[in-house]
Amino acid sequence: MSQTDTAETRTNRTESQSVSTTTGETVEETQAEWTTYEGGGETKLAVDDLDVHYGSDHALKGVSMDIPEESVTALIGPSGCGKSTFLRCLNRMNDRIRAASVDGTVTLDGENIYQDGVDLVELRKRVGMVFQSPNPFPKSIRENVSYGPRKHGDIETGLLARLTGRADPGREEALVEQSLERAALWEEVRDRLDDNALGLSGGQQQRLCIARCLAVDPDVILMDEPASALDPIATSKIEDLIEDLAEDYTVVVVTHSMQQAARVSDQTAVFLTGGELVEYDDTEKIFENPESQRVEDYISGKFG
Amino acid sequence: MIAVPREDYRASLDDLRANVESMAEDVLKQLQHALDALDGDDHTLARTVIDGDDHINQQYLDLESDCVDLIALQQPVASDLRFVVASFKILTDLERIADLATNLARYALADISAIVSDVRIQEIGETAVEQVRAAVDAYVAGDADACRAIAGHDDELDTSCQTASEAVVRELIASDPDGWEIEQRLDGVSRLLLTIRDLERVGDHAVNIAARTLYMDEGSPELIY
Repeated sequence: MSQTDTAETRTNRTESQSVSTTTGETVEETQAEWTTYEGGGETKLAVDDLDVHYGSDHALKGVSMDIPEESVTALIGPSGCGKSTFLRCLNRMNDRIRAASVDGTVTLDGENIYQDGVDLVELRKRVGMVFQSPNPFPKSIRENVSYGPRKHGDIETGLLARLTGRADPGREEALVEQSLERAALWEEVRDRLDDNALGLSGGQQQRLCIARCLAVDPDVILMDEPASALDPIATSKIEDLIEDLAEDYTVVVVTHSMQQAARVSDQTAVFLTGGELVEYDDTEKIFENPESQRVEDYISGKFG
Repeated sequence: MIAVPREDYRASLDDLRANVESMAEDVLKQLQHALDALDGDDHTLARTVIDGDDHINQQYLDLESDCVDLIALQQPVASDLRFVVASFKILTDLERIADLATNLARYALADISAIVSDVRIQEIGETAVEQVRAAVDAYVAGDADACRAIAGHDDELDTSCQTASEAVVRELIASDPDGWEIEQRLDGVSRLLLTIRDLERVGDHAVNIAARTLYMDEGSPELIY
């Protein structure tokens, strides 16, 4: 889908609607300003008219947005607004939920990830995910990082590989170091790579999960509230890391902390109850002068 | 949606608006008293204005601190953020207007009124006071149209000030004073020219207040320069 097509599609969706504000007054909201927002750079992921149902529950309603590459896009909104559902659509994690049905298109570098024949393992390698609670495997730090590349066959260490000379321990070491370095964890764990990962602190475990995600060389990293279980110091490290990663990767992060969205993201999408994307724009614009009164009320804490 | 009013925070924002308005009233009083002191060569009133500047300065520091607290502790966003940031800037303009009122009071102690008959300081002063009054009203009401009108009226004040300054210089030249007379008159003429310039600057601060109010109201930087 080209940028032009996207803009036209959205212009068709532009319409005024009456909405109630917290003060009870009804205001006309026009979505013309933001629906044509195309992000700050080349589009990595383009979402068009995405609807998600969980059985009879309409979790996402006609969401369209372009996510630019090598930047941080924050998804914010109250609980149940559909932001995590939206995130999971970006690497088809919702396929794992039997009752979920997804309509619309999501293209990654121009290819529709929902078309028939898409290799889901390959897709999730390109679009990695980091979850709210750190979930390292109960294995060594080294094995946590090399697990993905081994599974994908990027490094071979098994008996057959060793016997046939395909095993390359040096390559594995380099990949582990590189991934831990990139996740800002190398200096803290370099002397104990064979220790069990569960012995790390929460913040270290989360950075290990990010290193594990980076080890398979993704294009996009999806993060679902990656710092909500961490203390302020560990949160700062994750936030620094998110900004750093955006130099090379496309990062999409769901967060309940509006200050975190304001601090780390380049653009922010605000979802409100009912699975509706209400406003999507540069983060400065959202937090300084949003178009929508409902977004203004939400980010100002006038309802939640 | 469940309403979460953040009552203390909303009350803090309301308090800030009321306190900035209250400081503005005090500043306007200082300015008017300074003009009255100039008009009537009232040294007692002039000294009251000069002494009153400490109170204005204290209000300025207290309210600036309130703005910093709101930003640090409540993390306002969107229109709340623009309101706090605009108020923070407007406080500086109000404090500067009070400083200029103090200057005017000092000139009043030196009796400049009799120096040049042609210059209508009171008329210029009234226009400057009206501009500040209008800017403060626009801030309190969040009136964007009034902000643009204030910016437009500033040209009239500038023209009046330029005309007055030229009149002072012309009169000085026309009086063709001798050497010792020039020395005697120069202090008075300088003070008169400074009075005119200070009133013109009061008008500029009124425009600044309007500019920040427009930013607060519409997010538009169009009057900020």
